[in-house]
Amino acid sequence: NEFRLGLITPPPHIWTKAAGAFGEELAEKSGGAHSVSVFPSRQLGNEAEMLQQLQTGALDMAFMTVAEVSNRYVDLGAFYAPYLANDIAHAGRILRSDKAASMLAPLPGEVGVVGLGYGMAGLRQIVSRGEISSAADLSGLKLRITPFTPILDFYNAIGAAPTPMPLPAVYDALANGQVDAIDMDAELIWVLKYYDHADTIVQSDHMMFPMVGLVSAKVWAGLSEEDRAMIGELMAKHVDSTIDSYIEKEAGWLAQIADTGKTYTKVDASFFGSAIDDWNAIWSEKAPSLDDLRAVAAETR
Amino acid sequence: MLYRISATWARVELWAAAVLAVCVTLLVLLNVVTRNTGNALFWVDELAIYAMAWMTFLGASAALHYRNSVVITLLPDAVSLRTKAVIVKIVDIIVFGFALAMLWFCWRWFMPLELARAGFDTKIFQGNTFNFIYAEPTSTLGIPKYIFWSVMWLFALGATLHSTMHLMTAPSQIEKS
Amino acid sequence: MSPVVFLVALLLSVPVAIVLVITAAWYIWESGNTVLYDSFAQKMFGGLENYGLLAVPLFMLTGELMNEGGMTKRLINMARVFVGGFRGGLAYINLLANMFMAAIIGSATAQIAVMSRAMVPAMEAEGYNRGFAAATTAAGGLLAPVIPPSMMFVIFGVLAQVPIGEMFIAGIIPGLLLTGAFALVITLVGLQQQFPKDVWMSRKEAGRALLEAMPALLIPLAIIGGILFGIATPTESAAIASLIAFLVGWLFYRELKPRQLAKMFKRTAVNASMIIFMISAASVFGWVIIYGELPQKLAGFITSITSDPFVFFLIVNLALLLVGMVIDGIAAIILITPILLPIATGNYDISPHQFGVVVCLNLVLGLLTPPVGIGLYIASSMSDTSAGAILRALWPFLLAVAVVLVLLSYFASLSTFLI
Ligand code: NA
Ligand code: NA
Repeated sequence: NEFRLGLITPPPHIWTKAAGAFGEELAEKSGGAHSVSVFPSRQLGNEAEMLQQLQTGALDMAFMTVAEVSNRYVDLGAFYAPYLANDIAHAGRILRSDKAASMLAPLPGEVGVVGLGYGMAGLRQIVSRGEISSAADLSGLKLRITPFTPILDFYNAIGAAPTPMPLPAVYDALANGQVDAIDMDAELIWVLKYYDHADTIVQSDHMMFPMVGLVSAKVWAGLSEEDRAMIGELMAKHVDSTIDSYIEKEAGWLAQIADTGKTYTKVDASFFGSAIDDWNAIWSEKAPSLDDLRAVAAETR
Repeated sequence: MLYRISATWARVELWAAAVLAVCVTLLVLLNVVTRNTGNALFWVDELAIYAMAWMTFLGASAALHYRNSVVITLLPDAVSLRTKAVIVKIVDIIVFGFALAMLWFCWRWFMPLELARAGFDTKIFQGNTFNFIYAEPTSTLGIPKYIFWSVMWLFALGATLHSTMHLMTAPSQIEKS
Repeated sequence: MSPVVFLVALLLSVPVAIVLVITAAWYIWESGNTVLYDSFAQKMFGGLENYGLLAVPLFMLTGELMNEGGMTKRLINMARVFVGGFRGGLAYINLLANMFMAAIIGSATAQIAVMSRAMVPAMEAEGYNRGFAAATTAAGGLLAPVIPPSMMFVIFGVLAQVPIGEMFIAGIIPGLLLTGAFALVITLVGLQQQFPKDVWMSRKEAGRALLEAMPALLIPLAIIGGILFGIATPTESAAIASLIAFLVGWLFYRELKPRQLAKMFKRTAVNASMIIFMISAASVFGWVIIYGELPQKLAGFITSITSDPFVFFLIVNLALLLVGMVIDGIAAIILITPILLPIATGNYDISPHQFGVVVCLNLVLGLLTPPVGIGLYIASSMSDTSAGAILRALWPFLLAVAVVLVLLSYFASLSTFLI
């Protein structure tokens, strides 16, 4: 089979490289029977469109943010519990738990895709044009987010004005002041230089940002048992490798950002006060897996 | 008769498109006002984009009635009037084929028959068909997306109506009406 | 077979958007990958889910309102105070105005929409050939995505993981170079055609012209100020400009009545839907050829031919000229960048900034090349000139862009010097 794998990240990004490595190993292990063409940089459409194409079977595979999938299967929103993980290595341990794996089981029936394993990007940080010395300073700020419910609820609880905005518009918006602050991971803050037009970088580590390796349920149904086993194992392995990449590199990006001479503060859960309790109150009802996931987090702390 | 229906429908499409253009403008202005007063509304962008998409597809369908689309007229301009009339008919046939194809794409996508068979229960429907169109959410509006996608039906049906009219009507007849 | 379907349908004068759709559908049929039909209509809709596209109807509306409200007339009258007496003055005004607008607007199509409505009737009234007037305006519109801010560079920066601010800076020298090249074209054409020459205004007339233009100046001020002070995105600034244009035309100049709005919105809807529908068709077309991995195969072919970066650039430029004929601007950048950038930086050691500038300018040029040239058709519909008449006057400008492209391809420092 010749599989097509889509993702939104550009060629140099860790996710895209992992997708390439997955394709190479699959071709090798299958003795050339299978190959994977990688379509990076949303060539096949944004994540919502790719998910649609997975559902129809037009697209075979994708590496996708759990955020997008959680818009259709709410239980996955549990991963975004603020401060569920202490640090990025801890986030990795939570994603590698049996509980996390079991949360993918309902995806074929609910969303029409098979989830084979988790990867991730860095923890979420805040970059602000103005001084931020307390959560109260965030109140009323226009703050850019990726549009998905858990993060929207988080910033609403803080009292900020969350403003969804696609990535291409962010740099300008921050430079011009159309937004006062952005929610972003360390990698992009450093690589795309979002600190250029900011005074303050708050290393809050407030949320993890998992990714999931998906195969179209329609395509999956047409594969032999051996092929499923091989693809399942290899895709899980390569999406998982991104967890190691981020654990290894996150500290370096943060150190480079701290060295830019901008105001750099490191804060923890106490910084956000009651907002976290407010979030938990909403999501313990929405996401049945949240309590179990907390138990896993406690065990792996 | 067919011409009158087509013309009336094209007028409706155009007025709707104009109203949607007003909506786009007002929504974008609303965004400026609310954001600058610290009350940013996060669903405005998405709604404005859908309004623009509706405007586009309604306007594009009406354009087929008025023969007001962008075309390359190199060849038709170079040949005799008689040949030109033949070319126009061929184009009408191709556009009619396009309209039918659009109907067929919508049919495959929305699967109305299967939906009816599932008793309009989308859970059963998506279990039977692996088609999740009726479960797809919009990202900020909290409304199912198929409501916005349904403009593709309007476009396909409008295009079919207008192209059928052109196909059945001799050019001179149109000029008389 | 698909290329034949494409060419035949195009020549027969099937609407361009429909040509793209039926070619895409035909290609799917031929490749046997019919499951793509299930996502076909969705992809046509999805191609429009792009915030930047909202700028198209909004800037068209601004153009309508500024025109009907008597604002462009007065702004051009004001410009005439300063250069009216020179031979070809209005042609240079057009170019200069485009350069200033380019520092405000990031999209060529939006700029062409506004400027065609404003400049072409004025130039024609002064005795210029209408085709030349529209061609000058359309060419000037190419400055919008080169001189910062630029929607193209933003999207390229994100795709290439290059800081967007650096991409903007990379565009400054090429933007000035392009302006210079266009000025040269105007001078040469002017020498050959003997451009009309106006008379200088009297001091009293000049004073009146300046005073009358003051309220109209609010519009460019609102656009620049709105963006600079973070009140509005470039798209939003178009909506604000529309509002101001309406208020000024209605309350100050009294040339606009609220009931005329219906007609103007209708015209905006007609013109904008024509353009945006082509983008919808182009996006489904691009999606299908990406699925077929046609661009990837092309890239493999190029690397087998040469190891010299400049030769590579020339080949890329030629290929992109062809691509630009059928796929425009941002859609083409999205399709091309992920395929060619890794080859350029990996195999030929080309800086991503230089590559971005060359590729963006080349694909911007595609906006003016038929058969699919959205900028050309906007200029045509907004100025009521046939595309053919514009093309007859446009080719020296296109040639100038080609020369600039070769320079930019050869001298990397033109793009990277200021960074
Ligand atoms: Na610009
Ligand atoms: Na073109």
